[in-house]
Amino acid sequence: MRRLLHAVIVGAIGAGIVHIAVLLMVPEFSERDAWSRLAMASDLYRMAPLVPEPGGAPVVKSVDPLFRAAACRFDLDDGPLQVTAPGNVPFWSVSVYDRNGHNLYSFNDRSAADGTLDAIVLTPAQMIEVRKELPETLEGSVFVEADIGEGIVVIRSFVPDDSWKPAVDRFFGQSTCAPQQF
Amino acid sequence: MSAQTIFPMVAMLRNAVLTLVALAIAIGVGGGSVWYALDAQSGIGAIRIGPWTAFPDMGTPDADPYSQARVAREGVLALGRAEGLAFVAERDSDGQPLRRECAYTIEGQFPTARFWTLYAADQSLDAIDTGRPRPAALHSYEILRRPDNSAVISAGRHPAPGNWLLVPGTGALYFVLTFYDTPIASSTGLSDVRLPRITRGSCDA
Repeated sequence: MRRLLHAVIVGAIGAGIVHIAVLLMVPEFSERDAWSRLAMASDLYRMAPLVPEPGGAPVVKSVDPLFRAAACRFDLDDGPLQVTAPGNVPFWSVSVYDRNGHNLYSFNDRSAADGTLDAIVLTPAQMIEVRKELPETLEGSVFVEADIGEGIVVIRSFVPDDSWKPAVDRFFGQSTCAPQQF
Repeated sequence: MSAQTIFPMVAMLRNAVLTLVALAIAIGVGGGSVWYALDAQSGIGAIRIGPWTAFPDMGTPDADPYSQARVAREGVLALGRAEGLAFVAERDSDGQPLRRECAYTIEGQFPTARFWTLYAADQSLDAIDTGRPRPAALHSYEILRRPDNSAVISAGRHPAPGNWLLVPGTGALYFVLTFYDTPIASSTGLSDVRLPRITRGSCDA
C-alpha cells in the first residue's frame, strides 16, 4: 500500500512536469496555428481573405461579422515589405504578427498621413539603410520596425452595411503586399 | 518452479506495475490538465467586468504561457491595441448561462470608442448564421440612444422595437462586444470601465 502511495505521488509530480512541458511545447509544434492555416490557403506575398466566401468557414478564427480582413505572409529576409490599399473605407487597421501569431504592432487609419494605407515593415538593420536616403515615394508611408524574419500582416476594414461593400471590395481587391528593394 | 525463483519475479512485476501507474498518472493528468485549461473560457490574464470577459494581453508577446498556447492551438490572430478590444459574455448579469431560446436586454452605458460592434456567437465564438439578410450583429452607428447616451438592445428571436439583435436557433449563446480604436485597450483605465448589463426576459420552452 505504501508503495502504491509512493507511485501515485511520483505520478503527481510527473504530471506537473508533463503539464508544464506540454504547455510550453504547444506553440512550437502546433500545426493549427495561424501561419500553418494561412500557408494552406495561399502563398507568401499573397493578400488572402480570412473568410474566403461569405458565410464560409474562416481560415483564421475570430473575425467580426461586420468586418472584412485579409492576411499576407512575408519574410523580411527578402527585403522590406510594402503594404498598400487604396480608397476610403469607414475604418481600417493593420496588424503585424510574428511567425507565432503574436501581435507586434498595430495602427489604424488615424495614424496615416492622408487616410490611405501605405506601410513599410522592415527590420532595424533595414531601417538604418533606408534612413540614409529616404526614397521620395515613401515619404508618406508608415514605417513599422519589427525584429523578425517571417511574419504575417493583416488588414481589417469595417463594413457598416451593404452600401459600403463596393468601396471595401475595392480596398481589398487593390491591396498589395510585396517585398521592396531600395 | 520453486519458491526461490517465483518470489523475485513477483517483486519485479509489482515494480513494473507501480512504474506504469506513475507514468500513466503523469502523462494522463499532465496532458489532460493542459487540454482542460486551454478549453476553459476564463483563465489567467482575463479581465472581468460584470458578465463580460476580455483578454487584453492575448496574442501579444507579453501574454502568459496559457494564452500563448491557446493562440497557437486555435490559430487566432488577436486584435492589436490600436485596433480594439473584444469582450465576451457567456452568462447574464445574474450568472445564468446565455441561451438562444431566451430574450435578453442589454442595457447601459458603453465606454469611449470610435465605434463598437455587438454580435451573437455560438460556442466557437463564430457569428451565428441567421440564414436571412439581417445578420446577428449590430454596430454603434445604427443604434438608437436615450438622452443620456445609454442604449437598450433587445436580443432574441422575436422582433422588438428599438434596437433589435436577431438571435435565431437553439443552444448555447455568447455575446461578443468589441470596441474599436478605444483608449480602454491601450491604457490602464480598464478598472473604471463600466459595461452594459445583460438581463434575461422570457424564454421559449
